[in-house]
Amino acid sequence: MNANPISRRRALSVGGLGMLGVTMPKLLQAGDVIGTRPAHAKSVIFLYQFGGPSHLDTFDPKPDAAAGVRSHFGVIDTAAPGIRICDQLPKMAAVMNEVSLVRTVYHTMKNHNSASYYALTGHAPPLDDIRLRDTLDLFPAYGSVVDTLAPVSDGMPSFVAFPHIIRDGEVTPGQHASFLGKAHDPLLITSDPNDASFSLPELSLPSGLTTQRLQDRRSIQQLVNSQARMLDHSVAARGLDAYYEKSLTMLNSSRVREAFNLSAEPQSVRDRYGRTTYGQSCLLARRLVESGVKFVNVYFANNIGGRTTNGGWDTHGFDNTRMYPILRDYQLPITDQTLPTLILDLKERGLLDETLIVWMGEFGRTPKINDNISRDHWPQCYTVLLAGGGAKKGFVYGTSDKQAAYPDKDPVLLDDLAATVFALLGIDPHTEVRDKLNRPLPVSAGKIVTPLMS
Amino acid sequence: MRSTLQSHSPPSQRGLTARRACQFSVVFLAAVVLICGTSHANEKISFRNDVMAALSKAGCNLGTCHGNARGKGGFQISLRGQDPARDYIVLTRDWLTRRTNPSQPDQSLLLLKPTMQVAHEGGRRFDVGSAEYQILRDWIASGTPDDPADAKKMVDLIVSPREEFLSATSEGNSKGWQVQLSATAVYSDGSKRDVTPRAVYEISNPIAEISPGGSVRGQQVGETTVLVRYLHQQVPVRLAFLRGGQGFAWNAPAPANAIDTRVYAKLQRLQINPSPLSDDATFIRRLYQDLLGIPPTADVARKFVADSSPSKRSHLVDELLERPEFADWWALKWADLLRIEEKTLDRKGVENFHGWLRDAFATNKPLDQIVREIISARGSTYEVPPANFYRALRDPFERSEAAGQLFLGARLQCAKCHNHPFDRWTQDDYYSWGSVFARVDYKILENNRRDTNDKHEFDGEQIVFLGAKGDAKDPRTDATRPAQFLGAKDQIGAKVDPLNELAKWLTSPQNDRFVKLLANRTWQQVMGRGIVDPVDDFRATNPPANPELLELLCQELRSPGNSADSHVAFDLRHLLRLILNSNTYQTASAPNATNREDEANFSHALVRRHTAEQLLDATSLVLDVPLKFSGYPTGPRATQLPATRLVRRRESPSTTADQFLAVFGKPPRLQSCDCERSDETTLTQTFQLVSGSLVNQMLAEKDNRIEALMRSHPETPALVTELFWTALTRAPTTDELTQTCQYIEAAKSRRIAVEDVVWGLLNSHEFLLRR
Repeated sequence: MNANPISRRRALSVGGLGMLGVTMPKLLQAGDVIGTRPAHAKSVIFLYQFGGPSHLDTFDPKPDAAAGVRSHFGVIDTAAPGIRICDQLPKMAAVMNEVSLVRTVYHTMKNHNSASYYALTGHAPPLDDIRLRDTLDLFPAYGSVVDTLAPVSDGMPSFVAFPHIIRDGEVTPGQHASFLGKAHDPLLITSDPNDASFSLPELSLPSGLTTQRLQDRRSIQQLVNSQARMLDHSVAARGLDAYYEKSLTMLNSSRVREAFNLSAEPQSVRDRYGRTTYGQSCLLARRLVESGVKFVNVYFANNIGGRTTNGGWDTHGFDNTRMYPILRDYQLPITDQTLPTLILDLKERGLLDETLIVWMGEFGRTPKINDNISRDHWPQCYTVLLAGGGAKKGFVYGTSDKQAAYPDKDPVLLDDLAATVFALLGIDPHTEVRDKLNRPLPVSAGKIVTPLMS
Repeated sequence: MRSTLQSHSPPSQRGLTARRACQFSVVFLAAVVLICGTSHANEKISFRNDVMAALSKAGCNLGTCHGNARGKGGFQISLRGQDPARDYIVLTRDWLTRRTNPSQPDQSLLLLKPTMQVAHEGGRRFDVGSAEYQILRDWIASGTPDDPADAKKMVDLIVSPREEFLSATSEGNSKGWQVQLSATAVYSDGSKRDVTPRAVYEISNPIAEISPGGSVRGQQVGETTVLVRYLHQQVPVRLAFLRGGQGFAWNAPAPANAIDTRVYAKLQRLQINPSPLSDDATFIRRLYQDLLGIPPTADVARKFVADSSPSKRSHLVDELLERPEFADWWALKWADLLRIEEKTLDRKGVENFHGWLRDAFATNKPLDQIVREIISARGSTYEVPPANFYRALRDPFERSEAAGQLFLGARLQCAKCHNHPFDRWTQDDYYSWGSVFARVDYKILENNRRDTNDKHEFDGEQIVFLGAKGDAKDPRTDATRPAQFLGAKDQIGAKVDPLNELAKWLTSPQNDRFVKLLANRTWQQVMGRGIVDPVDDFRATNPPANPELLELLCQELRSPGNSADSHVAFDLRHLLRLILNSNTYQTASAPNATNREDEANFSHALVRRHTAEQLLDATSLVLDVPLKFSGYPTGPRATQLPATRLVRRRESPSTTADQFLAVFGKPPRLQSCDCERSDETTLTQTFQLVSGSLVNQMLAEKDNRIEALMRSHPETPALVTELFWTALTRAPTTDELTQTCQYIEAAKSRRIAVEDVVWGLLNSHEFLLRR
């Protein structure tokens, strides 16, 4: 009954999702001023290290600091002359000539949810609340801002997040579109890409339902709609219809399905990324970016972890656990397998220059090793890694002090980091969006760290 | 047609994209050279009256520029010039910045930057020699004096016209859509000055161009508000651009009641004809959905359509207003606003508070009494259900912001950090109002929360009481301000109970804001849009679309004496009855040629997506499959759920029905605003309907209505007809009947084919949208 599916699909893809009738007024409202700058990055892969990795035991080692501060691990030279990192990351060391380190990122939030919200949005929470409530007053995720201001225009989703919803007691704010509206929420996948039967739930039909039946159902729906003729005069009706068309197109399109089809990757590639949820998630991120997705959030773990070789980076040494063996056996090997593989894979495919990788947690960890021979939360100074997408190569911005406790030179607030990421994507960080009370808010109030840009 | 005045929009900013906000008015400013620069050359430049106005005119103090809380480029002045005293210090005392240089005025950064003689991120704001330039230069050259204490101050701003209906000279021709605004400042010494070229003009709905000199030129049919701002005063001007020409003939039916009289008066002035009345089937479906939150059954609808009584519509209104589902539906609306959620109120609290609301609507408790009981509530949250209002709002300013927004239609949040840029509220007002709620305190009898780290979680009884001393510090002084009701002149005496006093003051029929807010909210609850819109955003700069209509509704709420049926004041059902019996409510949604663009004047019914609960309940009722929500026994409708569950529940994970509600925008109830509920359409929603498990399971359920109707209606045409009445409240058209029957009869499996047909009905616009 759909007389001309191709032209309709094409019509749809002109503006992408964000331009459909229903969201149009919102978009106009949101984008009073859509500032544009030359974009370096077409896409961002945001690798979120929930729990807070120790900067002293990863990318800002201080081998000359006193015992009790310096890492139990050693340091190694890297492919970038003058940059040394933790010796547990040898493969990473080999690609340091491709990355930028920002060693002076800082803020004041000491709790996981409030600090993570800050890291995921670039906006400080109203208070440093261990169970910060996820309300529509709070700022949207980076990807939702991107989907609002510069959506993908060819039928792929702009913003995809997986393989978890992260939470620390409560769902961590900053993972969805908040006041920008549900239309800009990420396409969220919580099934495990490392699972043999991994597929996108939205693109899987309940048993008994075939694509033929879907077409039949759509035909009956269109028959009924054509009688009431609401499409002629209702923006809401047109918006609905466009979304039906879009979901059916996605269900029928091999392109979207193929982007999520990890089994199309050679076994050797899957092995290189590591047969872990995180490893396969990073591989999925590369596939998505390759097929046009603009912003991908990959969460390292669904919880802060730290006590076992599961979960995130929150290695306090609680319950008589110890940080160093856990880091050595779990987070660091996974990181050293997956992150350099992703960087090199993108490079080999010629995608690294247009894909920005952001690797960061919500804070670093205390310079002073605690009584459990572990480290606690430390937002005053920590390290964020950027690769590709117009960031400088083999470069360090900012110098921390001798103990990596405070920025010594060139401090970078999380807001500034956010401004820099938006700028690399070609979005003016001062662009205003409006909250539920119609108040104008800049997508980032930070300053662009221009020395980071190549 | 009219859109709300966008708070904070810089002058002429809207409509232009790809350009920095600060760079805007340049386009216009270039044209304003020396309009008024020399006219008062002999008069001494006043910092507060002249310099401040020039900074505003050039856009320097906008929120996107140096008026931002963090300033720009190290230069920060008060937002929209709210604080001249502080700006004076910033401009004159900070010597190192060379902002003002009296010995070489032209070398002052205050002149070099905005004229782009020195690079300026905000672009060129004015030209050398322009009026602004001259004012700033003269002031700098004279040694940057502040005004003497006895200097004249502006006390009033007179703007004309305040309202104008402009007709195009002929159809499609924008000639005639022109008007020159004028602004006159009145000073404390009685003198006046024409400030037309110095005032700032901002437009709500960018359908007109405004020159810096206040000349408006309309660009398309519609209504808009122009805000004229000069120093600390602002005045709204309503403008309508009418189609004009010879084509318009007023064709409306006779008014059914006083509502229609008011609505038609405005429509006629706008040269807009209302759409005809909706047909009976559409009417009954709309009325059921609007009053009860559910669709009518096939039998009820058929009987209604067949009924030939001329008064059947008003009888149906009376009947539905007495149905128990009415109380469920209204309790849901209020529960959203009163933050009835489980984490803070606990299970018993939400059931008590929600049950209390439901009873209040079932027994038709007057609206003012409901609010009085909420505001003055004290005691155990288990014994005194409305005390949960305060239990949910743990901080004085949360309470004051909520009370302001919910009961006075004042969005105060802006005034927490700076005087409200588009409303009368100052920071002083904000903190004085917060003080009213400062003494609310809690005695926590028990707290069995599961997450000891979560200070928002309370599980156990609490006593809400009024403590001896409150703590609602104004951060500017670190002291608690004397308590004062919002907009009231006098402070509250130290000895009175502030909440009881507030309950009295707030809900008085003489409290115009309160009555208007209730009238407007009730109107919006059935019409889909407020007369003031957003429904809780009352301010001079966001005027009602139809003031006479709003006033009528207020009268009906206030005075029981005027109408035929006897009722008390603040009678919700009385007001609803009046609205629902009007032609305005009953009009069709399909527009005509004259009202296609109108959204604000109620010329045709607004089409909007049904709420999450309505859609889920309707699906469940049509298919006759009960719903299962986490933590509840099978059975309640979604519109009957007392609360949103936010407590993490390992033992009872969310069901597909819970997920459906979240995807379709049921609010978590963490804000005191209608805006928290989402009526957006999203891709996730269509996936939920197309490939999601819930709807497909209900369709395939063995003993559902599909099964029953297939048994009771073996003939395909009869079956299809019954399905249409059940799902859409109407008979199928000939096309629909023929094609659907063909589809079913050609299918291998009759049951599967019927399921597909029902899916088509449940996913049609008529099912998903209110029309």
